[in-house]
Amino acid sequence: MVDSRRLDLLDPAEVARLGGIEIVAQGVVEGFLAGIHRSPFRGFSVEFTEHRAYQPGDELRYLDWKILARADRLFVKQFEEETNLRAMILVDASRSMAWRGDPSRLTKRGYADRLVAALALILLRQRDATGLMTFDEAVRQVIPARVKAGQWTRLVRGLIDTPDGLGTAAEAALRQLTGLLARRGLVVLVSDLLLDRELALTALRYLRHRGHQVIVLHVMDPAELDLVGPPEVRLRDPESAASVVVRPRELAGAYAATVRREIAGWRTACRRHGVAYHHIRTDMPFGMALRLLA
Amino acid sequence: MTFLHPLALLGLAAAAIPALLHLLERRTPPEAEFPPLRYLRDAERQSARRLRLRHLLLLILRTALVAVIVLAAARPIMPTGGSGGNGTGSGAVHAPTALAVVLDNSLSASAVVDGRPVLDRLKALARASLAQAAPGDRLWLVLADGVARAGSREALLASVDGATATPQRLELVPAVERAAHLVAAEPLRGLEVHVLSDLQRTALGTGRVDVPGVAVLVLAPPARVPANRGIAAARAGEGGLTIAVSGTPGAGATPLVARVRPPGNAPASAREAGRTLAAPGQSVTLPLPPLAPGWWIGEVLLDADELRGDDRRLFVVRVAAPASVAADAGVGPFVSAALAVLRMAKRVTVGGEVSIGERLSAARSIVLPPGDPALLGQVNRALAARGVRWHFGPPGPPGTLASADLAMVRGVQVNRRYRLEATGGDSGVVATVNGEPWLVRDGRVVLLGSRLDTTWTALPAAPGFVPFVDALANRIARGEASVLEAVGAPRVQFVTRGADTVGATVFGPDPLESDLTAATPDELRRAFPGARLLGEAGLAAERFAATRRADVSGWLLGFALLLAAIELAVASMSR
Repeated sequence: MVDSRRLDLLDPAEVARLGGIEIVAQGVVEGFLAGIHRSPFRGFSVEFTEHRAYQPGDELRYLDWKILARADRLFVKQFEEETNLRAMILVDASRSMAWRGDPSRLTKRGYADRLVAALALILLRQRDATGLMTFDEAVRQVIPARVKAGQWTRLVRGLIDTPDGLGTAAEAALRQLTGLLARRGLVVLVSDLLLDRELALTALRYLRHRGHQVIVLHVMDPAELDLVGPPEVRLRDPESAASVVVRPRELAGAYAATVRREIAGWRTACRRHGVAYHHIRTDMPFGMALRLLA
Repeated sequence: MTFLHPLALLGLAAAAIPALLHLLERRTPPEAEFPPLRYLRDAERQSARRLRLRHLLLLILRTALVAVIVLAAARPIMPTGGSGGNGTGSGAVHAPTALAVVLDNSLSASAVVDGRPVLDRLKALARASLAQAAPGDRLWLVLADGVARAGSREALLASVDGATATPQRLELVPAVERAAHLVAAEPLRGLEVHVLSDLQRTALGTGRVDVPGVAVLVLAPPARVPANRGIAAARAGEGGLTIAVSGTPGAGATPLVARVRPPGNAPASAREAGRTLAAPGQSVTLPLPPLAPGWWIGEVLLDADELRGDDRRLFVVRVAAPASVAADAGVGPFVSAALAVLRMAKRVTVGGEVSIGERLSAARSIVLPPGDPALLGQVNRALAARGVRWHFGPPGPPGTLASADLAMVRGVQVNRRYRLEATGGDSGVVATVNGEPWLVRDGRVVLLGSRLDTTWTALPAAPGFVPFVDALANRIARGEASVLEAVGAPRVQFVTRGADTVGATVFGPDPLESDLTAATPDELRRAFPGARLLGEAGLAAERFAATRRADVSGWLLGFALLLAAIELAVASMSR
């Protein structure tokens, strides 16, 4: 039986109605961490750098009790992060991501934003430096990977502030990313992968070549898996003016086979280049998606 | 192949609808965003050939479906290739056919065979023949009266239903021949005559039916017919009541009972006049008991058998006082001798009620031409003075006698005669020679064109001479008509003049109907050469066989269903 408090296991659309991205992501992460009872990612270490005055909201565990005992003043300890993980999350903000097959579901972008926010929160709680890059046909937002306080808020703000773009060009974003990641790190690409596969794979291969761990999250709406609709419909690509008139019942079988083949193609190509590939549907609970990454 | 509803073929234009819809389709489909359009294009590219084939197949199937349904609605008719089957299936039709059904509802058809009147069986078969008729057929029904009734199927079916056994005899061969000529005159592909009769031997006669191109289907007679006896005739005469028995040759004698009653009395009040025994072919005479003067109605009855209609026959008895006759010297020896015989038989007496001779008297007069031609003018003047419209004319050529009333004179030679000429109207002619009046009556006067002498006519030497003189004295001179017999429903019709009854017609069944013996196959082949002699099942199979065609609309609808199923399967493929 599903615990009703476990937001990570609820329907994403229902969870999204509980509040903004921050609230949802925090709820998801709380549920997710409570469910697995351990840190999902590698551990981290810190190195003390300085004290600063306590401010409301600071965690009490960082209070320096010795100073409090000696001087009766509240100081918190600040640490220089020392982590073996620097993560950059690339989010596809193209127009195709703003689509959903059913109004009751989240758009692919909406789903991706909440999932990325949750993932970033987990990483930051582990003191992993986490950054964000959003892109459509060009790079729209770049938030370098940091671990300092307020990073998560910046990341979330970066997600929110990135409007839906037009086309998709992941290759440019991936290439720019290499310049931002001086050290080896983790690269998570969240996209519907409606882009040039060969170019994208070339860039991913390059990242792998530079020693980065690369994870591809292929986000799809369930309506993209099976072709349904009225007897005849004109379907239009939101990123281009292209359209085609089809009879969904005639083409459903061939379409489903093509989609299966495409997913298998991505999975095979990624495996071949050492890239982790995960296929995620927008009706999948966030917890299940996060568990794929654990 | 022909069509029952050819106008429906106009609907074939609808077969173009699927193609036109395909070509002229201007619908604007709803539009929707769909990001993975590239997948869709890939799928479409891979399925293009299959989809094109499928669309072409669907177009062909839908066009064929419309065409087949329209064809079915037009009710196509195909020849079935000859006889076989009973032709009563829902899909069985035939080419336009001229059909005459000869239904023998003569008296013999009322005979009960195997517990059922023969007529019921014949009517059922006639109904079956007519029921299979199509709107384009020409139909006739010939009943025992020989009249060919043209009409619609429904009208003739009603006639068949209303047909009852009649006392008339059907002259089968002439009736079938007329029917065959009727259908042969029709410009139709099918020409058939169905002969539904008990096929009495007596109904065949001597003729034969041979009309080329007409299929004559004759219902075979029953294997067994019952022996029957009937009363062929019952006539009251001088010697009493003469009864003739007819029926199946060889059948045993049957008891006969004669009863008489005055006209107007109920039949139950009749009193028995005598009993006797007689077998078919025999004639017996019963003495009648003394009866009061006047007209009497009698009936002869025999025991009931399978054919009830001929078990009773009526007759009429006229009882009158003998005429008192006075003959002058000019009548000749033959008339004198005849009168002597009649006086001995108490048929006439000596008196002045009727005079017979060369001159008119004040009483009823039977006037012979005078032996001396010089007296002819004097006689004519006397006739004119009495107001008689008839007079003696110039001599006429010889010839033979003919008379509807006096059967005993028919065919007797007349060598010499005077023409009898009328001055106003020619009524009252009793007998003729060469169609010219020979014996006439006007009021109380009777004129003969010849003297009753063997140099004038052979009548005095004929066996009927004495009955002729009897009829002249007792009936013709008194203005009475004879008792006639006719075929019809048993009854008596009296002829009256003023308040007097002067004659009667007795109706009864045709005596030939009593012999139920069926014709042999040889006799039938002779009468109906080329006809097919069939049992009930054979008749059912051969009706309209030559022109039978099948309505294939049912098959087409089945084919349409198959096409629709294939279309559904193809349309559902790869969904």
